[in-house]
Amino acid sequence: MKNIVEINSLTKNYFNKRALDNISLNIEEGKVVGILGPNGSGKTTLIKILTGLLRQTKGEVLIDGHQIGVYTKSIVSYLPDRNFLYNWMTIKDAFEFYKDFYTDFDEKKFEDLLDFMKLEKSMKITSLSKGMHEKLNLTLVLSRNAKLYILDEPIAGVDPVARDQILDAIINNYNENSSMLITTHLVRDMENIFEDVVFLKDGEIVLTGNAETLREEKGKQIDDIYKEIFGE
Amino acid sequence: MGRYIKYEIRGSYKFILGVLALVLILTTGIYAYISNAREGSALGATFTGLSVLVIFGTLLTTFLYIVNSFRKELYEDRGYLTFTLPLTGNQILGAKLIVAFMWFVLLGVVIAIYNGIMVLSFSPVKIKISELFSMLKNMNIPYRELVVFGLTAIIGGVSTLILIYFSMALSRVTFRNKKIGGFWFVIFLVLSGIVTYGQVKVIQLLPYYLDLNTFKIASSHMLSYGFNITINNGGLIMNGDLGGTILNIAGFIYSIVIGVLMFLGTGYLIENKIDL
Repeated sequence: MKNIVEINSLTKNYFNKRALDNISLNIEEGKVVGILGPNGSGKTTLIKILTGLLRQTKGEVLIDGHQIGVYTKSIVSYLPDRNFLYNWMTIKDAFEFYKDFYTDFDEKKFEDLLDFMKLEKSMKITSLSKGMHEKLNLTLVLSRNAKLYILDEPIAGVDPVARDQILDAIINNYNENSSMLITTHLVRDMENIFEDVVFLKDGEIVLTGNAETLREEKGKQIDDIYKEIFGE
Repeated sequence: MGRYIKYEIRGSYKFILGVLALVLILTTGIYAYISNAREGSALGATFTGLSVLVIFGTLLTTFLYIVNSFRKELYEDRGYLTFTLPLTGNQILGAKLIVAFMWFVLLGVVIAIYNGIMVLSFSPVKIKISELFSMLKNMNIPYRELVVFGLTAIIGGVSTLILIYFSMALSRVTFRNKKIGGFWFVIFLVLSGIVTYGQVKVIQLLPYYLDLNTFKIASSHMLSYGFNITINNGGLIMNGDLGGTILNIAGFIYSIVIGVLMFLGTGYLIENKIDL
């Protein structure tokens, strides 16, 4: 199977701190991959490099065979871990914005997801709660028929009801022609979604593999493996 | 790029219309006071001064708003949306410049027309518009010089804005820390100094001027040294002793080239170097 993401010897330094240390990783097309690690392990740094918001210090990163640039940005649907929409917007403005910039944006999917999330188009971005923000951002990101979805901490800091809605939306809207990269430290809630997992610790990959195989090999859930690795 | 221009306009038009509404109300008030004030009174002079201040304040506020909107892209969360769009750095920058330019032209034109209307409305002597036009016709206005004057002013304004954007982008690349984000202003001052110094040197090295009346090229040797600088733009435009306005050719080309280089440099930095 073709690799949608190819990372070779990737290093990222912030002045005297090493955020990613010579990591190599391939992600196959059609896979849902969990990047797992505590805060400060390098998850967001890795994702920011993939989305073109950060530059690597060393190494090579390819998405769909291309270096990070305008093309990769057009095929990657990215959910940052913050409220990234412009403050002057209403949900309708955000919808039109996505429709204008991304040719893979699916209006029908957006309407359905908005309904599912119980959001109204007339709502102003600045009037939304944290949970509503997260749901809107995910609605926009999943409404694209992108080749690669990158979701950074999609359920962090939201209430359990919103969390379930978000997880359902991810499961229901994932299609086999796309790949999904999800970072999280809330492993128990998300581990059933992942086909492959990558454990990141202090900027290094300490364990990677198929989630089911790892469960069988270790005789534990991914959440317990996580605790074993990071609980030391 | 057209799509990004659309959203730049949608994001800023309310502010611009607000500023415009405020300036028109203030202008009306000022003209009403002037017309009521007795001739030659101190009050009239004060309000004329205020009128100039209002126009200057409007343009400065708009300029700061535009500059700040670029800073927000570099330092606030909205950059996560802008810089992950499938656009090149040049497209983002170009759209921002076009919208900024558009707002300044709109503000300038509306304020100028409105002031004209106010002068006509509040003038103690009633002037017919047809008379005004025939008066303008007979005035021998140097249109050619006005066009070049306007062109150099536009190039100067746009270049300054590009230099500010470049300084901000360079500051963001150099210092990730938001707290020293204001360092861009130091970079801007230093770069402005270097650019102006370069322009003066270029003008000294290539002292060939275009006479805007005759469109003939003259060197400084043919002119006396008693230039009266009308715009302090590194000596780009001067009043020569031959009577007409002259433009330094090399200096003019230099300012365009610097503007283009700064534009490409900023586009490169925001596409390839900035770490959010």
